[in-house]
Amino acid sequence: MMSRRKFLILTGAVAAGTILPTQISAKTQFVEAAEEIEAKRRWGMAVDVAKCTECMEELIAKTGNEKVKPPCVVACDKENNVPEFKEKRFDPQWMRIAKLKLEKPVNAKEFYIPLLCNHCEYPPCVQVCLTKASFKRPDGIVEIDMHRCIGCRYCMIACPYGARSFNFLDPREGLEEINPKVQMRTEGVVEKCTFCVHRVDEAIAKGEEPVPACVEACHKFGKGALVFGNVKDPNSEIAKILRENMPVQLRANLGTDPHVFYLKLGGE
Amino acid sequence: MAVEFKKIEGDSIQYIALVIILAVVTGAGFYAYVLDHEIGGLNGLSNRVPWGIVNAGIPYFIGLSAGSLIVSALAGVFNIKKYKVFSRIAAYMAAAWIIAAILSIALDIGKLYHFMNAVKYFNPTSIFSWNAFLYSSYFVICSIYLLVQFEEMERATRFMAGLAVFWAVLVHSGTGAIYSFMYSKELYHSALTPPMFIVCAITSGLGLLLATLYFTFKFTNRELDPSLIRGLGLIFAGLMMVLGYFLAVEGLEKGYIPGLHKAVQFVFLNPGTGVFWSFWLLVVFGIAIPTIIILYPKTGYDLRWISVAGILHAALVFAERFYLIIPGQVFPEEYLPGYELESLHTLEGYVVSYTPTIFEWLQIIGLIAMVYLIFVVGVKLFALIPERAVEEVVEE
Repeated sequence: MMSRRKFLILTGAVAAGTILPTQISAKTQFVEAAEEIEAKRRWGMAVDVAKCTECMEELIAKTGNEKVKPPCVVACDKENNVPEFKEKRFDPQWMRIAKLKLEKPVNAKEFYIPLLCNHCEYPPCVQVCLTKASFKRPDGIVEIDMHRCIGCRYCMIACPYGARSFNFLDPREGLEEINPKVQMRTEGVVEKCTFCVHRVDEAIAKGEEPVPACVEACHKFGKGALVFGNVKDPNSEIAKILRENMPVQLRANLGTDPHVFYLKLGGE
Repeated sequence: MAVEFKKIEGDSIQYIALVIILAVVTGAGFYAYVLDHEIGGLNGLSNRVPWGIVNAGIPYFIGLSAGSLIVSALAGVFNIKKYKVFSRIAAYMAAAWIIAAILSIALDIGKLYHFMNAVKYFNPTSIFSWNAFLYSSYFVICSIYLLVQFEEMERATRFMAGLAVFWAVLVHSGTGAIYSFMYSKELYHSALTPPMFIVCAITSGLGLLLATLYFTFKFTNRELDPSLIRGLGLIFAGLMMVLGYFLAVEGLEKGYIPGLHKAVQFVFLNPGTGVFWSFWLLVVFGIAIPTIIILYPKTGYDLRWISVAGILHAALVFAERFYLIIPGQVFPEEYLPGYELESLHTLEGYVVSYTPTIFEWLQIIGLIAMVYLIFVVGVKLFALIPERAVEEVVEE
């Protein structure tokens, strides 16, 4: 005879077995179809180069450090568990600042721009990835599946924007604290900016406007040079900016259609 | 057929010593890999130069394999009976080199235990993904081709020879395309690379094969007729000149583009870097001198000189791979044309240097030693080398 205890455990297990899978499948029914997302959302970023330059100039004057990391870069490193290594050749950097100068005139003014993954419409990294570890989501964000990446670094060769870093060392060795909300990487895989995909998904689920860590820091501590948003939404701030300006995309001639747009390269 | 293939005895002290030396060097190569990955950062790579000489090993070994196989199949496809004496040895070497190439991929990737993902998941737009399929099928074709030769299956051998040549051209063009279709790097992007790879494969494969043949016949005290080698030598020299022609056309075309003047100057005229030396050493010692050795009558019929030419060329084709892979990475890209760009936090915008470390060299040398280990053991286990290789074989 079966004891009452055993009977309860058994029925409980059967119940859980029947209910749980349906719950999971029921949950997936609420997620939008890829075509729906594609029609509705396309994330992009606009950079006001004039404001960015102003922020960097002030920061360099204040600290006296020409290689100072501005709030956006610091926030990105912290949010996304981007490690810091002494040896620069191994140091991964999702977001970094570059100094830009026209080659022609003597004493040309120097401008500063942030460099990050451009989340291209036709990403070369996704094109070349052996295992489809690099993939583009329907909302335009280019991501890497760390469980699939074999670390061949073909994507780094293909990327026209140097956006990708390889983990030559275990990233945990270069981190003081870890943000549990962002996936940890291991040695031997490639990583890059995700437009703070975890924040994007969380915000969408709550019906809010997503704000990546760099953009948040830029508005809080910087000059508000960065604007993130849905370029397909005609009422979004980024759509308005792109309508009213003459944005520049890096290496647009390659036809990758990058979605980081640079504005006001010549100042106001 | 009159060609008698025979195993070697392989019980002399020298033979055993050779096996041990090759095994030790092979082991050292794999140990260097383990150290590099356990300790981390023992290589000269960086986030700007993620592909170094271990990666260069992939096209190099595949080239040697494809070249060797094409030579082997010459006999089968065009029915040139006099080259039949080399067909087994060349096909066997082709299979050994492709193992080295696949291992080179394994040593190069960051996550070895994800290796099977490359086989499991296929991305039709990735040239490397296609090649993962091509390399493994190529090895199978090599093996079957060798098997039908062992079994003396005449018609099957001819069919497999044809298929093998076709596959070798496919595999090696694909390998060239891995690099040259990369439109994001101007110094990579070139439609000439795949055909250049085919030529380079044949020359390097043939060069090394000529030297291997000479030493094998010498140490096993078998007869090798220089006039039989002469035909192969002339193909070797002719194709080396074609390779030089390709390199010249490509360099001149790049030099013609104003936007690339700085890059071209850096590659060809800046003796401070390995890139400069890889190109010019290749041109002088890898192409010009070997070609002269073969064409000059006094040295062109001497097996020892032919071997020198073969080894020189095959060794410097590795420099060609360096010249192909490294410049596009060390020379900075222009993100916004017309502007000077310097990154504050990474090495972007700067000319970075890449010097391969001893740990990287050991991996390459280890793989080469492994191939010769496979070869040396192979001639004892299988009937690979003919009793004698002389011109008169044709008549019989």
